[in-house]
Amino acid sequence: MSKPARTRNTLLNRLMNPKFIMVYATIVVFLLIYTIGALLYGDKGFTTLRTFLNLFIDNAYVGISAVGMTMVIITGGIDLSVGAVASLTGMFIAYGNTILGIDPFICIAFSILIGVALGLAMGAMIQYLKVPAFIATLTGMFFARGVCALISRESIAINHAAFNELAKWRIKIPDVKPLAYVNFNVLLFIVMILIGAYMLQATRFGRNVYAIGGNEQSASLMGLPVNRTKVLVYGFNGLCSVLAGVAYALYVKSGWNLSLQGAELDVISSAVIGGTLLTGGVGYMFGTLFGVLLKSVIPALITFNGTLLSWWAKIGTGVLLLLFIGIQRIVVSASARKKL
Amino acid sequence: MTESVILSMQGMEISFPGVKALDRVDFTLRSGEVHALLGENGAGKSTLIKCLTGVHRMDAGRIMFDGSEISPSSPQEAMKMGISTVYQEINLCPNLTVAENIFIGRQPMKRSQIDWKEMNRRASELMERFNIHIDVTRPLDIFSTAVQQIVSIARAVDIQAKVLILDEPTSSLDENEVDRLFRVMEGLKKEGLGIIFITHFLDQVFRIADRITVLRNGQLVGTFEAGGITKLDLVTRMIGKDMDAIYNLKRPDVAKDAGKMLEADRIGITGGTVGDISLHVKEGELLGFAGLLGSGRTETAQMLFGVTRAGKGSIRKQGKTIRVRHPIDAIGQKIAFCPEDRKRDGIIGDLSVRENIMLVTQGRRGLFRPMSRQEQVQLAEKYVKLLGIMTPDIEKKVGELSGGNQQKVILARWMATDPDVLILDEPTRGIDVGAKAEIQRLMIELCGKGVSVLFISSELDEIIRCANRILIMRDGEKAAEVPGGSTTQHEILSIIAGEGVQGGVA
Repeated sequence: MSKPARTRNTLLNRLMNPKFIMVYATIVVFLLIYTIGALLYGDKGFTTLRTFLNLFIDNAYVGISAVGMTMVIITGGIDLSVGAVASLTGMFIAYGNTILGIDPFICIAFSILIGVALGLAMGAMIQYLKVPAFIATLTGMFFARGVCALISRESIAINHAAFNELAKWRIKIPDVKPLAYVNFNVLLFIVMILIGAYMLQATRFGRNVYAIGGNEQSASLMGLPVNRTKVLVYGFNGLCSVLAGVAYALYVKSGWNLSLQGAELDVISSAVIGGTLLTGGVGYMFGTLFGVLLKSVIPALITFNGTLLSWWAKIGTGVLLLLFIGIQRIVVSASARKKL
Repeated sequence: MTESVILSMQGMEISFPGVKALDRVDFTLRSGEVHALLGENGAGKSTLIKCLTGVHRMDAGRIMFDGSEISPSSPQEAMKMGISTVYQEINLCPNLTVAENIFIGRQPMKRSQIDWKEMNRRASELMERFNIHIDVTRPLDIFSTAVQQIVSIARAVDIQAKVLILDEPTSSLDENEVDRLFRVMEGLKKEGLGIIFITHFLDQVFRIADRITVLRNGQLVGTFEAGGITKLDLVTRMIGKDMDAIYNLKRPDVAKDAGKMLEADRIGITGGTVGDISLHVKEGELLGFAGLLGSGRTETAQMLFGVTRAGKGSIRKQGKTIRVRHPIDAIGQKIAFCPEDRKRDGIIGDLSVRENIMLVTQGRRGLFRPMSRQEQVQLAEKYVKLLGIMTPDIEKKVGELSGGNQQKVILARWMATDPDVLILDEPTRGIDVGAKAEIQRLMIELCGKGVSVLFISSELDEIIRCANRILIMRDGEKAAEVPGGSTTQHEILSIIAGEGVQGGVA
């Protein structure tokens, strides 16, 4: 040990911490791809604020869900039920309002109740019955999807004045053209990211989440409330899934039992691209924010190109995932080597 | 020393199926003392601690702590009362910072938010108090085991502990790190903490302990002042039989006309740190391997067994050149290898004693000639008896046995294959004196049956005592070869140190 290495609490010093390396990698790759887009399609309007904000608008539901997913993955778990739960939320709102005539906001409250309960139940299954998270949440996914089909197998449009009002509500950004705005979904996404970041950084609950992901047995021996924390994380993720479902319902203004199939994988890959380690213990909300952006800038590029099939977006995402998991492996093994 | 008793346990009793693990054990701890708890594996040290910290429920007995009777139901509860335990394995979170590891669960809060500044400041202070000058905002896993160990102690004592239990804290530390830990312990002692210190290293006991309590087979042998007992006396009490049996081990007799069993000619790892090793071992000979950690001892053994491929040189067995590219080739040549890290590379903790013993024997027979249950049971029972493996029955999970018994199970696994060459990498590390002596005796017996043994150990005195010849490694090369017996520790040490005396601490 050299001289006393006093912690210098300058902002720069804190930002230089090597633990943020994955987040920076995400930001750098995002800027890179964005720059490529700007060079290729700058004349078609790729660089406008509107295009940029559209990344948020079109992907807010993925981002909202990714907030909860990030937390789940940091504990070393996974949740495959998020797409189905979000879809179920859409069904509750659409069927409840259009067919049964219930106020959509009551439907949302009911969805939150069900979503959180389902999340807590899966968490309890994982923690107390020692069912692997993969299996427990897979059953949750089948359950939610089954209930969706039970409610209706047709797409139901939502037609409610206040709900439509909320869907249309937007804040215009002054003095830019073409017209640019953010809507309710974007605000919800940003608020959820901030709430998630606050929980992770500033509360004991959040730090316990990291501790569990680092070494669950140690966390328990250190006297941390491991069981409670893990179950609550899945409950919180249930809440995020429902809110993602609300955002999606506002986005498409309908509910359909087969909507959002495979969305869980978009959510998981957003978190992973944002630097969340699948083995647990590492991850940041702002990383996830950029993970969502990075994952959505590729389809935007493809749209601007106009001639490429949209499936190229999937291939691009696949390559990105591979790249980031590769970087993670290198970072992890490099830090393991350093210790020797 | 203050005479105030902080903790006393009276008439502690607990039984597990088939074993009386603790039988009327008394133990008292004063504040401001280091009290060593000694005994062989299975003597009841861990059980006593587990009763104290609420892992086990005792059948009888009472615990008085700080003036009142307690019966904690979990380690957390014991911790809250002021009894903290630091285990041999580091139970911290590698991904969190040093400061967090000390304070998690009890972080200082400001306006219902974690006060990171205050937490880091206090952590820094705490580590400074232990004379550790590090950046506490860095993740734990970049620091050495010793620092991590001290972080766990810092965590333990910051919970306002009055009693600190250190369960084999030194087994993975080198000399300097042990010194550092002892300084920390001395400091805590002065502050009035009572420390229970469990270890297998007798030298350390005499260096730091004020009193010593010895357990054997779940019973109390006695409590002694550290100044009033000799090492030999202590060991005799621990194993309950005369130590002469250990110190009078006879080196294997190697027949004059014994042929060379295994020869290696200038082997080395391509592009690696170990090169140009030549050695031979005769039939029935015990060849010792000395050297620091990282000097190439383990790497050489791994090359002979095909764990790492020797890119250079050649290996001959009984005069014939053999190719050892994978462990399976070595096993085919009747070479056996007990690795250094028995928990990771040796035992399969979740399998039973029987299954662990039969593994290689079955592996050699192949998939299509399964051993019958009866054969397996016979094999396992034979070796459990032969090696004196202490287990209630052969279906017990190996992971639940003590270290010495785990080592014997691995030994049994290889003995069952009837090997010509047996390579043992640190077989006696972390196990108690009695089990050590037995493993040494077994090695020598095997040599008597014509097996050639390669014995790697960090403890020079046991190598000198057992080996016919000693090969000394330094910096990935063979530094010297000396005869066993007539060589002194000092001679070997000066060879290990070499000309420049590299302070090689691994």
